[in-house]
Amino acid sequence: MEQTNKVAENAGRERILARIRAALREPAPKHSAPAAPERIFAAVTNPLERFREECSKNNTEFIVVADMAAAAASVGDIVASLPAGEIFVQDAPSLRAMTRAWPRERSIRWSAEGGPAETSEATITLAEELVAQTGSVFVSAACGGRGASVVAPVHIVVAQVGQFVPDLEAAFARLRERNTVAQNSFLCLITGSSRTADIEKIIVMGAHGPRRLVVVLALSSQ
Amino acid sequence: MSSPAQEFLRSAAIKSADQKHRQIVRRGIDHYESAVERNRARFSSWEAARQRAHEIKWEAVNNLDKYLLEFEARVKERGGHVFWAENSEQARLYITDLAARAGVRTVVKSKSMVTEEIHLTSALEEKGIQVFETDLGEFIVQLRNEPPYHIMTPAMHLSRTDIADLFREKLGEIESDDPQELVAAARRALRKAFFSAEMGISGANFLVADSGMIALTTNEGNGRLGTSLPRIHVAVAGIEKMIPRTEDLALLWPTIAQAAVGQSIACYNTLLGGPRSANEVDGPEEFHVVLLDNGRSELLANAEQRDVLHCIRCGACLNACPVFRTVGGHTYGTTYPGPIGSVLTPNLRGGEQFQHLPFASSLCGACTDVCPVKIDLHHHLLHNRRDIVDSTSRPAVERLGFQLWRWMMMSARRFALLGSAGRAALRLLYAIGLEGSVLDPLRPWTKVHAAPAIPAKSFRTLWREHRGTDQ
Repeated sequence: MEQTNKVAENAGRERILARIRAALREPAPKHSAPAAPERIFAAVTNPLERFREECSKNNTEFIVVADMAAAAASVGDIVASLPAGEIFVQDAPSLRAMTRAWPRERSIRWSAEGGPAETSEATITLAEELVAQTGSVFVSAACGGRGASVVAPVHIVVAQVGQFVPDLEAAFARLRERNTVAQNSFLCLITGSSRTADIEKIIVMGAHGPRRLVVVLALSSQ
Repeated sequence: MSSPAQEFLRSAAIKSADQKHRQIVRRGIDHYESAVERNRARFSSWEAARQRAHEIKWEAVNNLDKYLLEFEARVKERGGHVFWAENSEQARLYITDLAARAGVRTVVKSKSMVTEEIHLTSALEEKGIQVFETDLGEFIVQLRNEPPYHIMTPAMHLSRTDIADLFREKLGEIESDDPQELVAAARRALRKAFFSAEMGISGANFLVADSGMIALTTNEGNGRLGTSLPRIHVAVAGIEKMIPRTEDLALLWPTIAQAAVGQSIACYNTLLGGPRSANEVDGPEEFHVVLLDNGRSELLANAEQRDVLHCIRCGACLNACPVFRTVGGHTYGTTYPGPIGSVLTPNLRGGEQFQHLPFASSLCGACTDVCPVKIDLHHHLLHNRRDIVDSTSRPAVERLGFQLWRWMMMSARRFALLGSAGRAALRLLYAIGLEGSVLDPLRPWTKVHAAPAIPAKSFRTLWREHRGTDQ
């Protein structure tokens, strides 16, 4: 079985490549660019303000606090307001420290034990970057895995001010610089909470992913 | 059995007279258009974005062999598998074999037009595998056992009441036709499938050559669950989905969202490459990419129409098309309806079956104006007409007619003379009561349109009288 597939695969591959190479011998026309190319997007001048504006448009709850202790309290309040049940937390030192400050009544599943359970009430993760241009959070497999940002009804992201990038171009440049794309099998640019417009093109929030996306930003990393 | 062309005419006549259908589609497109208008302000220059998107896709498509090989090498480095399928059958066979080997019983699919193109679902079902479409629109049309109506909005032709009735019949317990409640019902129905499926199948909006990842754009999150939870992830994509660099997405993600739904950016823009690696929390154990040719390399050989392969399947040309709006998506009888479908289908499916499609256009050019990658759609429709006329034998009366037309149009004097003779003959015909009869040469037009009055004077005469010169 494996063997016959291998043969078929190679045969098709060579034939497709040969057809493509033959096809491309004749050049195709290209729409020429204007002499003075215009800017596609306006420059983002104040990333924090822009991020706040975008969040209010895309339905992300954005909470700014002074430091990590305040972030812990803020996240603790949100978790306390949720129905009883397990929550999933990315296994990172800063998040371990954060949960230690909480009263001990929540059962927590750490990412080191595997992905979130189907019944998780919330997931708490870090992010790679916050993108001001679109009010988005860039996460990777390193941020608690693939399911961490999609399985539960609430996703809480704990971020720091140094993670802001003004726009998507800067976001990709930074990923490149840190080799994040090569090191992860999964990355996702998340903008707002899950939605659909498949019925009469009317937007309904909360399809298969989280109904709430909360970003808690600590202005100081202490 | 009637030919696809006869079927098209029959269905078009029914749909264009169906007031309810018109109303639902009109409402959907109104919502779309106002969102697109509102959101255009997100771009300092939408034209510059289109130009850049065109250049990115041009670069990828015109160096396709190089980028496909780069993509393949990167995917393999990530521990994934790449299968090159020359046609639908090879693609289906690879996936059904894989499913059989892995003992797959349930598949969750996220929205993908290319899997419609290769009829993957029925092939899996024939092997006794249960297949769940998980995009809401796709889930709705799957429950109705019909193909998607629109490449971006599969259930565009249905009202909330239609959908509520459908859910009540198939899922039970639907109290109102509030979209919020309907979405919640679909979520509940699919949740179990996501957590029990052994295989997730997705398409790809882009194949990223330099990182060996596929890019998936979704709003609902279904595509994310289906590529996170099952043990095997299979991505099926046409070879033309290639883009050279990861950084190109900084432009393409906002651009596809604007063109497709008038959104600043989709909710989830995901990059997936390879199975879960040793240090990762979750993800599939196997990652397969099926690269589909299925006629694309032949289209690539047509340099004049090569830019059709730039298409990112946003559906903007469908929404803009006066023919699509009137006859509806199902009338086309093809996987890809609307202007892009009328250009693609005769090229991908070959033969003579779909030669009527390029004629199902007013050539108004609205499709070309809205295309985010600047595909010259209406000229391609015209070129396809030309090629079809050149390659088929036309009725003698049509050939004679056009020869006569050409002869007349080659001389201003002949044009004036025959024009005036024509008007006189028409007046005579109408004077003896033959207007609208089979002898009336304008009948094909006037049987469905109000007849314009025959002008007393020709344009040339009016021009002379008002400008006092023939120059």
